[in-house]
Parts: sequence; structure tokens; C-alpha cells
Amino acid sequence: MNCHSLILTQSDTLLPIRESYGNNVPMRWVRVHKLPDYAYFSHSVHLRAGVGCESCHGNIAQMEEVHQDQPLSMGWCLDCHRNPGPHLRDLKAVTAMGWTAPKNQSELAAMFIKTRSIAPPEDCSTCHR
Amino acid sequence: MKSENQSYWRSLSHLHQTDEYKNFARDEFPEPIEKTSHPLSRRDFLSLMGASMALAGLASCRRPVEKILPYVIQPENIVPGIANRYATAMPFLTGAYPMLVETHEGRPTKIEGHPKHPATLGGSHVYMQAAILGLYDPDRSKFVLHKNEKKTWNDFVKTWEGWQKTIKEQNGRGLAVLSEPFLSPTLFRLKQSFIKEYPEAVWATFDPVSDENIIKGLEIAFGGASAETGPEKIQTGARSVYFPKYEWDKAHVILSLDADFLYSETHSIEAARGFAERRHLHSEKHSICRLYAAESTVTLTGAMADHRMRLRSGQIVSFLGALIQELQSQGLAINLNAESSPDFDAGWIKGLAKDLLRVKGKSIVIAGRQQPAYVHAMVAALNDALGNAGQTVHYYMLKDASVSNLESMMRLTGDIQNDRIHTLIVLGGNPAYNAPSDLKFHELLNKSKHTVHLGGYADETAALAEWHIPCSHFMEQWGDVRMADGTVSVIQPLIEPLYETKSNVEFLNLLVTGKESRGYDIVRDTWTERIGGIGFEKTWRQILHDGFLENSAGQPSDVKVSLNSVSDYLKTVTLSADTVDIKNMEIVFRPSATVFDGRFANNGWLQELPDPVTKITWDNAALISYKTAQALGLGNNLKDGKSRPPLVRLQYKGRELVMPVWVLPGQADFSVTVALGYGRRAAGRVGNSVGFDAYSLRTSAALYYDNGLTITPTNKNYLIANVQDHGGLDEETLVKKTIDKRVPVLIREATVSEYLRHPDFAKEANVQPNILPLLGKDGKPLSAYHSPLDVTKGYQWGVAIDLNRCIGCNACMIACQSENNIPVVGKEHVANGREMHWLRLDRYFSGSVEDPQIVFQPVACHHCENAPCEQVCPVAATVHDREGLNVMVYNRCVGTRYCSNNCPYKVRRFNFLDYNGGGSGFLQAEVPEILKMSRNPDVSVRMRGVMEKCTYCVQRINEAKFLAKKEGRSVNDGEILPACAQSCPAKAIVFGNINDPNSKIYELKNDSRNYVMLAELNIRPRTSYLAKLRNPNPDLEKKV
Repeated sequence: MNCHSLILTQSDTLLPIRESYGNNVPMRWVRVHKLPDYAYFSHSVHLRAGVGCESCHGNIAQMEEVHQDQPLSMGWCLDCHRNPGPHLRDLKAVTAMGWTAPKNQSELAAMFIKTRSIAPPEDCSTCHR
Repeated sequence: MKSENQSYWRSLSHLHQTDEYKNFARDEFPEPIEKTSHPLSRRDFLSLMGASMALAGLASCRRPVEKILPYVIQPENIVPGIANRYATAMPFLTGAYPMLVETHEGRPTKIEGHPKHPATLGGSHVYMQAAILGLYDPDRSKFVLHKNEKKTWNDFVKTWEGWQKTIKEQNGRGLAVLSEPFLSPTLFRLKQSFIKEYPEAVWATFDPVSDENIIKGLEIAFGGASAETGPEKIQTGARSVYFPKYEWDKAHVILSLDADFLYSETHSIEAARGFAERRHLHSEKHSICRLYAAESTVTLTGAMADHRMRLRSGQIVSFLGALIQELQSQGLAINLNAESSPDFDAGWIKGLAKDLLRVKGKSIVIAGRQQPAYVHAMVAALNDALGNAGQTVHYYMLKDASVSNLESMMRLTGDIQNDRIHTLIVLGGNPAYNAPSDLKFHELLNKSKHTVHLGGYADETAALAEWHIPCSHFMEQWGDVRMADGTVSVIQPLIEPLYETKSNVEFLNLLVTGKESRGYDIVRDTWTERIGGIGFEKTWRQILHDGFLENSAGQPSDVKVSLNSVSDYLKTVTLSADTVDIKNMEIVFRPSATVFDGRFANNGWLQELPDPVTKITWDNAALISYKTAQALGLGNNLKDGKSRPPLVRLQYKGRELVMPVWVLPGQADFSVTVALGYGRRAAGRVGNSVGFDAYSLRTSAALYYDNGLTITPTNKNYLIANVQDHGGLDEETLVKKTIDKRVPVLIREATVSEYLRHPDFAKEANVQPNILPLLGKDGKPLSAYHSPLDVTKGYQWGVAIDLNRCIGCNACMIACQSENNIPVVGKEHVANGREMHWLRLDRYFSGSVEDPQIVFQPVACHHCENAPCEQVCPVAATVHDREGLNVMVYNRCVGTRYCSNNCPYKVRRFNFLDYNGGGSGFLQAEVPEILKMSRNPDVSVRMRGVMEKCTYCVQRINEAKFLAKKEGRSVNDGEILPACAQSCPAKAIVFGNINDPNSKIYELKNDSRNYVMLAELNIRPRTSYLAKLRNPNPDLEKKV
């Protein structure tokens, strides 16, 4: 318990978290975003490329209950892989919620692609192992 | 060139082109596909499925709810999804296998060689790679048993407390321990304490297959006493024991006397590595080593030999005598009177002697562990006279060692028989199964008032013992172990014990002190004693991190061979008459190449792993030579694609065993080799009743070989699942004119002199220059694709396999199986050609049927640029990626199997049944839940109906690329190691980026020995081979 040992320590909603920590029993989160077992996905390279959390998970900060915002289908993934520009952000803005692309997004994206050597693969072996 | 005129054959049926073989080779799978063991026909199946669908209705279409459970407090260094590697070691015989274990969230999944350990430098062995399956074996012993009733550890502790009082009062009289051998500081310290605590207790050490003869032989050679008194010399009066260590990479000539040093002798990984280095021809002026082998059966060492002599194991001593006499006549000063016999090829011995004298001080003579002590003494004397001692052969005093001693075992047996033992503790091992049969140890186990067995399985011994204590797997326990040269490793656990098991140090500690302590504390106590003081914590952490204590190898001993001692001893040895005939043959007992002495019998990977030479799986057979087979009227009986050799009755010293024969080209005449480790009765669900128990024939008078065997054929046959003919080219029905030239050029080899005269021999041995023009009209390489991928940019992965280094040890096969979740299919399916190994080792014979040469070739998916498989897949489940990999997409595959049909190398494997147990219903294998823990989470587990094949370990490629991406660099050469390349002790498989001119793979692809198989098909495989070189002695070349 890192954040919630300081933030909203008396909140009722967060009681399960405190109980879990106190009893040393893991929280049983319902899994919302799931890819099939045969598709392997690496979060870290997407973060390094500067894809915002919001691009795939939606605006979590505004969700009463987290739901799957994007289809997460292979076609949807390939759409971005073929055209990553609109989704690339400044590395500091990756976790920002409610982000909209600035007017010069295409120039920024071109710069990001060059400096971060972004070359999203379209090969099957990228995900299917 | 040799390759063109040479004819290569995989088996006798292949050589003789029997009708049976031709019919078999026509189909890829010997049995019609529809015939499964299930009697249900297709129509019935469909109607059944239809019915159940209708009954089930449309239950909820939603995805089932899955939960994610995070760590409450995440341990340091664990990032979910990223594997951690920890160093540990696996104790084995006179030494250990150092290793790194890859763990995912605290769960070990893959064993790898230790790249920095000075002995192995990253190489591994099949026993080591398969050990991970032993950890997750569902048949492992899980709880304490008292008279086969479940009890707890505390029950035993209380019982022992009660016994201990009486035992101590009697000073340990009547207490006996039968232990496995070990080289371990902690176990040795505990043994010393035990002996001090119970001075009148008996301690016996015995292992059915051990290095006892080597150690005894050296004792004789060094005059029985040692001049050294190292700090390890203890008051208990244990004698100093020595063990040889060889510098293989300095040897120019090696003579192996029944010694399979590349695979089964102690330190085989080191030997394979050094030997492979020494076989590499660096330049024209360089010379590679020359290997001579004299052996009774075909071993991997014999297969690599430039000159091989077949003789019975019992003839080795007279052969050695003949050699010594020849050396003396050629001027070597060795004052040893050795008997010989005229049976051997004098020209061969003369050439060998001349060669040994040519490279004095730079040769190695080694005898196998099954040769008697006096042979080892003679060999030590010979190495000394040849100047090898101190150069290529060193002797190390074994530290913290408790070595196997048959005499102690026999004395213990006598003591138990005469009611002198009231409490027997069996520390590991399985004497009820593998003790020499004349000792009848299984009858003695319940003779003492109390028997306690500590073991990993509730095996044959546990069933007879009063108490059975389950032993932790080496990956669950703390301990320590030394290699023979003294390099010491701490064994650290990778996972908390899965069951309520105790480690051997914890158990022994209880016996000694009567108190319980954690293994961690016990091991630390040993080390605090040895290297305690300032800086201990730092050193301790360094050892755990490195996997071994740096510079802990001792100095080689300066003990000298005493020729007088050897001569005197030889005078006391009477060699029995060594004439054999069809009624009186030699029997040779060897540990199985896959299950060793039986300890791995329940390991499915090892049972299914083909024996490296015979390619037999799931069984052992009595190996006989072609001539012996003809004399007895026996053969391997290939019929309908399966071998059903006859069962024969082996009769030896009044004992009898019925088992199948197997004709092995290259076996010595009238010598029969049987593998130990089979026919177990309480191994577990995998190992029970597999094979035939050769221990029932084995006696203490002749543990390894003896004369007096008769073989009588019975009229029954037995199915042997042998994979040697699987994947062969159909030579009859395919275009005969070109095909019959193709097989010889799958393997390309030449002698060193031929190669130096004609360096491009390997490239020029193609069947035809080109059937098709390899360049298209536009001058670009002809491709099967409309818009071929640009292979000049980016990473382009390729593999080169050096046939000159490959020793055929199969470590790569098990590494691949472990890394890629490859299932075990069982004997019946292997016999049908449905084994799932992605990588297979093809073994070819060439030359005479009696005395062939042997070469190995690892074959996995070649990732062809013009892949025939990709072109015929109707659903695009197999496609090419930009980096040259032929990629398999399991979820698209519908199972037409056209790709496998089209593959010329036959490297694609189809999941005919649900071998992995992932699905449901009657066609699914019953896979115990615990085995799911052994799977690599980075690789999909495949279901029924899906094609699979080697992926160049794409998961490792991706891992390396992600890491490089995050660090903002490109992948370095050597950073990606597919499992096969990583495990190879000889470093025969090299992987890398062929576009990188600074990479190792680039160098190898441009080597003159480089060639691809079936180049004329224009499929442009990314896997190529480097031709094999042989180095025959010019004086003996005609004889070869």
C-alpha cells in the first residue's frame, strides 16, 4: 500500500484495500482488459514509444466502474501500428487523462518516430508466439 | 570427395532398401491417420458433437470472469512478466552441474547452463535440462510415510528422539547409514559429526553406477598413500582420494578406452566443450586433435572418433597391454609388464602408438568408469610415461568427498544379515531396486528393527522401509556441492518446497543433533566455519549471486604415479580366460543414456528422448552386433513402419531376463550391452513397467561387464518405438534419378587433408548446379512471392550448425522441449511417428555394416526464405516475418497438414491429439495440474489440431528486441540465444543476424564449409550447416 496509506485513509470505498494489506490477502480484481492467451503483449515498449494509457484504456479517471473502452482486436491494434502518429505523446504526458492531440501533432509525431526509433512491426511474430 | 561416393543410411532397413522400408518411407506417418486408439468413427464423432451442441444450447456467450491477484507486498526484484535468473547447481555423481534457473514470479521454468562457470561455460546436459520436470513430477513423494500410512515430520522427529537416546547410550552400535556418494562441504561436515557422535555406527556409501573404479585405480597408481595433508584431512582417518581432470583443449591425440567422455563420464560438459574447441580448424597451419576409441558398444565418443576399434569391454586390458608393448618397442620408457593378446589389429596399434609418441605431453589416455581399477592404474602409468601428467592430465584431491565403495555396501549387507544392525538409515538412492542382485537387498530392508528411507519418490525402497521421509528436490533446498577440481557452489532453492519435504542436510542434521534446523542455517554454519570472519556476508552473497566461489578450485596435486605400485598390483590380478563364442558372450551393463541408473525413470521427457545412438525411446534393448544377429538369426523386423524385434532370453550366472534385442551396427561381436535403469516397479505413472530390469542380472562380482551370457530367441516379438527412420526422404517414389544422389549430400564431410586441398568441397557437392535459375529475370533472387520481403535491411536471423562440433548429445532437444512447452506423447504415438520434438538429431551411418562411421545432424525448422509450407497454407496460418522467421500462428491453423506435407525437411509437428491437456472431452490427455507450473509462460501451449514447429525461439528474440528498444540500442551479437544454441556444450549451434558483418553467424555463413541441405530446391533456408571434418591418421587411412 503506497499511495493509499496517505491518501483517503478513512474512505469506506477503500476499505477492501486496507483489509487486504492488513490480512495479507490479495485483492481479487476483476480482469477487464484481456488478450487471448496466444497473443503476447509488452506494455513497456508501448510506454517507451509514448503511446498514452488513454489510447487503449480510455479515460479511466472519468469511469465510475472501469470498463473496456476500446475493442482491443487485432485489427484495431494493426490500425495504430500502421499509423501510430495520432497516438504518440510527449513521454511526460503518457499518463495524462483527457489529453487531446495538439495542432501540430503530425510534426511532433514525425519527430517522435525519428528520435525514439518507432517502427511498429506488422509481423505476426510480434504477438503470436 | 567423400560425400559424393559415400552412402549414408539411417538404419539397416534403409541400407538394404527392404520393401518394408520403402513402404514406410512413402508416407510421412506410418499408420493411416484416421486410426486412433479410439474406436469412434468420424461419422459417430460428428453426430455426437452435434447432439451435445444441441443439448448444451446457447449458454452464456460472455467471457468468463477472470480475477487478477496482485502481490500484497511485492517482493524486491520481481516484476511480473520479467523472468529472473538465479544460480544454483545440481549434484550428480562425482561433481555437479552448475546452472542458472529462469524463474517467473518465483516459479522456476527453465534450466540453463551457467555461462560463467569455468567448467561448463554455459553448456548443459540432458539430465540437467530435464531436471525441471522432476521438480513438478506429480508422483513425487509428498508426505512422511510410516508403514505406508501417512504421518507427519513431527511424528518422525518424536520417534527419532526416542531412538536416539538408546543409540547414544550404545555409542551408535547397531546404527547404520547407507548413503549416496556426495562431494559437499555441509554433508561432509555432518558426516564427520555423525561419526563423532556415534563412533560405533556403520556408514556405507554406494551408488549403482559410480566412479569408484577410477578412484581406486588412482589410489593404486599413487602407491596407496598420499603425501598431502590438506586442511580437509580429518581425524576420522578418511583416506585422500584423487580424481583426474583433463585439459581437452590442449590435447592433440586422445585415446578413449571404453570411455564415453563426451556424454556419460563425469565432467562430460567440460570435455565436450574442450574437445569441440580442439576440433575447430582455425587455419591451414593449425591442426585439430585426433580421437581414437576402443569400445564395446557405440557411444557418442566412438561416433566422433577418427579411428574406432570394436572390442569387448573385457578385452580392453589386453588391448592396453598390447599398446604398452608396442610403445615400449617404439622406445617409450615405461617399465610395466603388461599382458596382451594377438587378437588386435597390429597395424592399428602401431599407428596409434606412433601418433601418441609424436605428441608426448599433449595427449590424453582415458578409461571409462566401468573398466576395473587396475586398468585405470595402468592408464595413469601410461599418461605419466607419455608426459601427460601435469600437462593435459591433472589429479585433484577430492575435498569433502564421500565416494561410493562397494566393499562398504557388502559389509553392511553382511552386518544386516547377521542381525548386527537394528536401525538402518537409507540416505537417498534406491537400493531395493538397484543394489547388486546377489545381495538381495530388498529382502534385507525390513530385517533391521527400524529402517528409515529418505528419498524423493515413494519408490521400491520406500515401499519396504518402516519410515519414508520425502526428500526435497535440489531446486527446493539449501546445500552445497563441489566439482572434482574443488570449485564449490552453494545450492540455493528456487522455490519453497512444494510439499512437506525435508532436504538431506536438514534430515542428516536431525540425526546428528536431534534438533531441527533450517537448511539455510545449516549451510551457513558450514560456511561461517570455513570462511567466516570479516567480509563473510559479502562473500556469501557473492557466492549466491555467482553460483560458485571464485578461485575455489584447488591446485592440482603433485602426487606422482608409482610404477612399482602399479606393477605389484597387476601381479595380484588374474585375468580370466577371455574367449567368447555364441554360447558364451559378454554382457555389458551401462547406465541408460536417458534415465541414467533409473533415477529419471519417471521423467517423461527423458523416457521419450531417443537414445543418442540407437534412437530407441521408452525402452531398453539388448544391443547386439550385425554378426551376432546373423549367427542367432535375429533382426530388428521393421514392419508397417514399426520395429518389432524378437524377445530373447538372456541367461547369465543362473539369472534370467527376457528382453528384446536390437541390432546396432558398430557393436562389438559377441558382446551384448544392456542399459540399466528400466523395468521399475514403483517409479510413478510414467516410469512403471517401462523397459526391462537389467539389475536383475547384475551381481557384485562383476558390476559392469562379464562373460557367461547366453541368448536364446523366443518366438515372441516386441514393439520398440524407434525414431531413426522418421523424417527420411522417400527415395523410391520421388524422382529416383535425383533423389538417390540427394541423401549423400545431406551430410557433407571430408578429411582435413581433403578439405585443405579442396576448401569448397561442401558447396560444390550440390546435386545439380540449379534445377531452376536462382535469379529472376530482373536479376533479383527468384522468390515465390509476388512482392518478396527485403532481406537486406534490419535484423535477418539465421542459424549455422557446425557438424564438426555436434556430438549428438541431445541436450538441445530437451532444452527445446523445456523452453517451448513441447508435450510428451507416449510410446504408442512415437511408434506412429507422432513424436512432438521440434528439433531432432538425425544419426547417419556410413561405411560397413559391422564397423560404420557415424555422423549426427540436428534438424529443426530451417525458416526458408521461399518456404514451401507458407505457399500451401489455405488460411495463412504460417507466414514470413520481416526478419526472416517463418512464423506459426496457432489460432489460425485449421489442421489441413498441407504445410507438413510440403516441407522437404519434415520438421513440422502436428498435434493429432490434445497432448497438452488444455481442452476437454474424451480426446484430451489427462495432464496433472502441477505440470502446468513447468510450462514457459512466454510460449503458447498448443491444443489438438494445430501444427507447430521450431520458431527460432521467437520469444527470446522478442525479449531481446524489447530490451534493446527500451535501452535505445540495437540487439548485440550473441545476446539472443535460442534454447538449443544456449544448451549445446560444444557450441555447435550459432544464431545471429546475418546482416551484421561483425557477427559470428556472418563469419560462419561465409565459411567455406558452409552449405545448405537441398539447395537445389531454391527454398533458401536460413539454417545452414558446416561440413564435418575427420582427421584420420595418414598411416591408418586405408584401414579407417
